[in-house]
Amino acid sequence: MRAIAHQKSSIHGVGLGLKRELIPQIQAVYADNSIANINFVEIAPENWIDVGGKAEKQLDWFVERYPIVCHGLCLSIGGLAPLNTTFLQQVKKFLQQNNISLYTEHLSYSTDAYKGQQGYLYDLLPIPFTEEAVHYVAARIRQTQDILGQRIAVENASFYVKAPISTMDELTFIKAVLTEADCLLHLDINNIYVNSVNFGFDPHAFLRGIPSERIVYAHIAGHYQQTPNLLIDTHGENVIDPVWAMLEEAYQLFGTFPTCLERDNNIPPLNLLMHEVNKITAIQNRYLGTHHA
Amino acid sequence: MPNVLPSFQRYQQDFCAHLRDPIKQPRPKNVPIERMAVYKEVVFNNLFESVSACFPVAQKVLGKRAWLKLTKHFFCEHSATSPIFREIPEEFLAFLSTQADLSVYLTDLCHYEWIELLVSLMKTSTRENDIDKAGDLLKCPLAFTPTMQLLEYNYPVQKISARYQPKEKVKTQLLVYRNAEDAVKFIELNPVTHRLIGLLQQSVMTGEQALTIIAKELHQGSSEKTLQFGLVILEQLKSQGVILGTKILC
Repeated sequence: MRAIAHQKSSIHGVGLGLKRELIPQIQAVYADNSIANINFVEIAPENWIDVGGKAEKQLDWFVERYPIVCHGLCLSIGGLAPLNTTFLQQVKKFLQQNNISLYTEHLSYSTDAYKGQQGYLYDLLPIPFTEEAVHYVAARIRQTQDILGQRIAVENASFYVKAPISTMDELTFIKAVLTEADCLLHLDINNIYVNSVNFGFDPHAFLRGIPSERIVYAHIAGHYQQTPNLLIDTHGENVIDPVWAMLEEAYQLFGTFPTCLERDNNIPPLNLLMHEVNKITAIQNRYLGTHHA
Repeated sequence: MPNVLPSFQRYQQDFCAHLRDPIKQPRPKNVPIERMAVYKEVVFNNLFESVSACFPVAQKVLGKRAWLKLTKHFFCEHSATSPIFREIPEEFLAFLSTQADLSVYLTDLCHYEWIELLVSLMKTSTRENDIDKAGDLLKCPLAFTPTMQLLEYNYPVQKISARYQPKEKVKTQLLVYRNAEDAVKFIELNPVTHRLIGLLQQSVMTGEQALTIIAKELHQGSSEKTLQFGLVILEQLKSQGVILGTKILC
């Protein structure tokens, strides 16, 4: 049993963000060859912690059949108020109960201290890139890792406003945080691209600067082009060619890593979504055995 | 107080304050207006959708503009304490309870709409071994489904719609629960049944004891009649899956 449990918890290949619309569709064709390339699914703990009823049964169904990755949204690593340790204990229990080994969060914040009290804004806001912020964020990641008793991976977030008070660029900030927190990296390929357009930098140079030894996991997604130099990270469109090319470039540079397709809005039927899942598998297959095993 | 914060946190505070209240709180210095607009739109819309999904009737009753105004006010005023997404509507209820100038029945209606969400996703643990499914409904304490919500409102919330908005208070008793197939069910109760379930729910009283109390309260001469009437109700609740059986401790 133990060996199986270990196998189930190991994340590899390609995953799909588990949206409610997709659940019955996956259940209907489970074990069918057409979805064989879904190797794992990703969920947000904020949606599933302590659910009962039908949702609990759905969660159990997936836990029995797929390795699961937890990708959080509300830990607010860069937030003003103290880290919500009650919530972190809930996350810890959830990970243990469902045999989930990987928990990742965003390098961003989702709370303010409005009227002197922690207030959730339920979205991902940009942390200014300053020295003080590096130390603050790294300390909170370490605190998180201490509470969970495991390392977490932090994701490079997409953003639309560059803080005028920033004293370093995003890559320098990410690298400094990773080193100081000694945590893992969840690399979001689309976010690199989105930010490169929004702030006019070279995404390839950014990618080459990533400390590859810390990458454990990746995201790929589509975005919405609001104006030629403003992309919104909606996860509501197909992945565009330049982002596919960057995923391939990342595998080429660093070897393959488990990669999840995120589709949160405007979700097509599963059979159409599988085109993109299968495409990730095909690209991975070209680089299997290089660098990372 | 702001001066003790490091500069990046002062900036974050200003940034969020402007998001919440763009009219009164200035945009952080040197932040482009069109980029800030993205956050204003995305963050509010996200919250708006999470709230609106739970309150379809309240939304219709208020109308688009008033609903938008109310949710904007919520975003501006309320410090939400839960990171769990399904608890956002509960945050909204907490906000409503601080608002004085709402239509009288709106808080009741929103609570009722939220109950459906609560019951559908409520985590329960029923120990089957502790329940006798064939136990005597009058002689033993009863085991109710743990999802049961016994409710009393000042308005007939279950009847409210864009076309029907109550003008006067009418005490309204309801029971909401999740059945074995995980469907949320609603039952309208009369005051006596509401009282009966209330007595049975909060104590180890048997059906017979509770009905005797009710007979006295109603000044019924014979409690025999009340017992018969009560048994019919209890059996019906059992067939609906509200009563699971009797507690085995009996």
